[in-house]
Amino acid sequence: MSNVITTPVTRRTVLRRAGGIAALGAAAPLLHGLTAAGDAAAATGANDYRALVCVFLYGGNDHASTLVPYDRANYARHLRIRGGGFTRKDLADTVLTPRAAQTLTDDQQFAFAPYLPRLKVLFDGGKLAPVLNVGSLITPVTRAQFDGNNRALYPLPPKLFSHNDQQCYWQALGSEGSSIGWGGRIGDYAMEANDHSLLTCVSASGNAVFVSGDKVLQYQVSPKGAIPVEPILDPKYTSQAIAAAMRQLITRPSSHALENELGILARRSLDMERVVNGALSKLNLQSSFDLVPGDNPLADQLGIVARLIAARGELGSRRQVFFVSLDGFDHHSDLALKHNDLMQKLDEALAAFYIATVELGVAGQVTSFTASDFGRTLVKNGDGSDHGWGSHHFIVGGAVKGGQYYGTAPQVSATSDDQVGQGRLLPSTAIDQYAATLARWFGVPDGEMATILPNIGNFERRYLDFV
Amino acid sequence: MAGTINEQQAARFLLRAQFSARDEDIRALQAAGYDGWLDAQFAAPRGQRGYDWLNATGHNAVTAEGRYFWPQAGDFMIWNQLLAQPGEMRLRSTFALSQFFVISLNPIDGFWPPYITASWWDMLGDEAFGNFRTLLERVTLNAGMGMYLNTKGNLKADEKTGRQPDENYAREIMQLFSIGLIELNPDGSEKTGPDGRPLETYVQDDVTNLARVFTGYDHDMRRVKRQTVKWQDYPVISTEFTLDPMVVDPDGHSAEAVTFLGLTIPAATPPADALKAALDRLFAHPNVGPFFGRQMIQRLVMSNPSPAYIARVAAAFDDNGAGVRGDLKAVWRAVLTDEEALAPPPADPLHGKLREPVLRFVSWARTVGTTSETGAYEFHSTARADEGLGQSPLRSPSVFNFYRPGYVPPQTAMARANKVAPEFQIANETSLAGYINFLQWAIRWGYNDVKPGYGELLPIAHDPKALVSWLNLHLAANQLSEESCALIEHALGETPLTADSDRESKLNTLAGACMLVLSAPEYLVQK
Repeated sequence: MSNVITTPVTRRTVLRRAGGIAALGAAAPLLHGLTAAGDAAAATGANDYRALVCVFLYGGNDHASTLVPYDRANYARHLRIRGGGFTRKDLADTVLTPRAAQTLTDDQQFAFAPYLPRLKVLFDGGKLAPVLNVGSLITPVTRAQFDGNNRALYPLPPKLFSHNDQQCYWQALGSEGSSIGWGGRIGDYAMEANDHSLLTCVSASGNAVFVSGDKVLQYQVSPKGAIPVEPILDPKYTSQAIAAAMRQLITRPSSHALENELGILARRSLDMERVVNGALSKLNLQSSFDLVPGDNPLADQLGIVARLIAARGELGSRRQVFFVSLDGFDHHSDLALKHNDLMQKLDEALAAFYIATVELGVAGQVTSFTASDFGRTLVKNGDGSDHGWGSHHFIVGGAVKGGQYYGTAPQVSATSDDQVGQGRLLPSTAIDQYAATLARWFGVPDGEMATILPNIGNFERRYLDFV
Repeated sequence: MAGTINEQQAARFLLRAQFSARDEDIRALQAAGYDGWLDAQFAAPRGQRGYDWLNATGHNAVTAEGRYFWPQAGDFMIWNQLLAQPGEMRLRSTFALSQFFVISLNPIDGFWPPYITASWWDMLGDEAFGNFRTLLERVTLNAGMGMYLNTKGNLKADEKTGRQPDENYAREIMQLFSIGLIELNPDGSEKTGPDGRPLETYVQDDVTNLARVFTGYDHDMRRVKRQTVKWQDYPVISTEFTLDPMVVDPDGHSAEAVTFLGLTIPAATPPADALKAALDRLFAHPNVGPFFGRQMIQRLVMSNPSPAYIARVAAAFDDNGAGVRGDLKAVWRAVLTDEEALAPPPADPLHGKLREPVLRFVSWARTVGTTSETGAYEFHSTARADEGLGQSPLRSPSVFNFYRPGYVPPQTAMARANKVAPEFQIANETSLAGYINFLQWAIRWGYNDVKPGYGELLPIAHDPKALVSWLNLHLAANQLSEESCALIEHALGETPLTADSDRESKLNTLAGACMLVLSAPEYLVQK
């Protein structure tokens, strides 16, 4: 394609990065040690603390380039449909062997993308569990029911394949406009455990409905911590009188609703800044979030999450739900190039975060999981892939029963009944089941599950037991 | 109308129709009346185009460090446009359009990213007072949109390899750029089926079919010159490809029939005819008026227009009075001069909208007067919430804009009243502080080469009452309450100045006063 002429820079970048892959494996021994240490820390961890961390991959992660069929027969099927991509040699270092023998659909064996060497170490150490073909469902549906018209009996999630709506469905089990996320509902259940209820649900990546509850509000923090209003702290070229007027103007109540909400927001910003930065200033967290050269916004966000967890004693936090994200997964083109870069960031960030939880002695009390708009088509559209439905996801943490797969592996096919065309996966596990498993671990009792996940009763098996 | 518009009404109107309300604008509006003023803006010559400005400032230079790959000048270009070019209403309308038809500098790579965004911005500006149908076609074939939503390089299906056409643009042109997801009544309310559920406008099959129309396209390289350079083994191309509409290669174009939204485009229809048929179908859909109209009201006037207001704007979209559909001049006129827009702010506590951070800053800069010391306009992305404006023009995080038209901030009075407040999607604990911190420096010292002048204000800097009154009218159309004005005047009075005080002290006071006004919720909510 004539793309080549306008993208020479990126072409060179990928070659440079490819040269670095082998070196990444050097981190393996360190991680191996820490996966073992995590067990010990979890066993002795006496403090009452639990956190869930949602790692959202915005744009729809290409699951087929993340967890790639590796055995000869299925790799050949994959290659026939997708074409190009990794060779089996590329994948040899990141082949996943379950800790106990597992037989997947069509005897599939998977490998991680070569850019996920650290996550492979976590899998091998039993700290990471892939969950296969998870997606939005209201009730279980077969391909025939999907093709049929009986929506009364077999309703489908609204606006499948649409980014904003499916992002919202993953986060809040409804299409765009939903205002309460399942992380927020879990927070509603847990907020009384915390000294500062506002620190129950925290987003380090801007506004996310996932951490918005019925009672609990999401607190938005920056990777640098809470941001003070400088002109109030330090008037610089103005005066103390201006600083005082500033505080009064931005915080005072108003009879106008929008103005009043801005005042509430300002009070929350000022109050929490003192609390949060006060606690963060006393910390000493050694773990690096910079394992690989280059910027990594996800690692920056997980860095502040780790610091907030480190400050849990000072802040009186006992049950927390966090939201972080990485953007740029909508790979309609240049998939191979751009996806590799994001995989490397995901690998660095999740591994660094896990190491930090080990340092803090809370590896077994912090569980991270991935989410994304949707999976993508297995059929390519040139050098990219299109919006899909079900996708593969990861659970990471000391409490995770990792090193094995959960859910059902889809066939490597664009014609089988576990996909709905072009290899768009018909989810075999619902977001609700994925969420229920995490919520139960977090401490939500079975009897409360339907208030958090209203459709959970539609699924025979509520929990997947991956944690 | 002439003579019946008071200063406050004029400022209120101007702060919606454009960025700022300077005295000469207020007088012009009072003299011409709303309709006459709009006619004058529609006829006004436009300023320098972004593309020409980039050339004039030397950003087309082919340099050994490969500046032709650098995105930064894309930011310089758009800030120059927003802060310094004449024809404010066209610029303001273009900025509103850039939040409906979205591309973002963020992922644009390869040769000449600044020219890609400049050509996009210039194109939106060309059509801002034109027709929606023309605009939709130019959006579709724009070089930057081709990169952003993958029409560039999109190829027909290939049975041998299993390749399918890319569906990205086909989906978003329906979901975001024309009709939306749900069938609408002319007043913007959703149509429901017999089961009470909203009626969806299209299904996946429509997307898959429409995608075939957008195959075979690529950048038009015919005017491009290739320059051999010694520091790399491939030539540097010139910037014309960013200007020219994409071209179609019939060999890459799908010959399959296309059936979408009830229209069938027969197999083997020539690409240009297929494109025309598809865009005509979308343009004729009754959703476009209310779908587009509501969002333009939200951008310029209020978050929650009444159904009747939306219906009036949709009617103007459907017919400009001369039988023309899609006349954007008629849309802007309907949006800005609607009885609901011009009526005095109602007692309704949910009236109005939150001003966007970029608009606050641009409004301030044009009101107090800023100039560039070098002509460079070296603004970098202002997207960071913790140290920037939390919004950067032409750098939306995705095609879904900075915020969604249906966003409801949870657990607020707006949510309890079932009202939307799109701009609250980027208002949070971090951005609230980051914005004020950004102001603290920028409104006193400027941003890189762009410095505030405060020329009109220096003579009244020592008079708190006159100063606050001036800022209240020009920045806030007198929205600040007497109580707030008194509070600011009192704080300013704590550092007394006289007419003879030195310039730096006056600038300190002026910046402090602006900072207070621009941070006050009574200013932030535009009513």
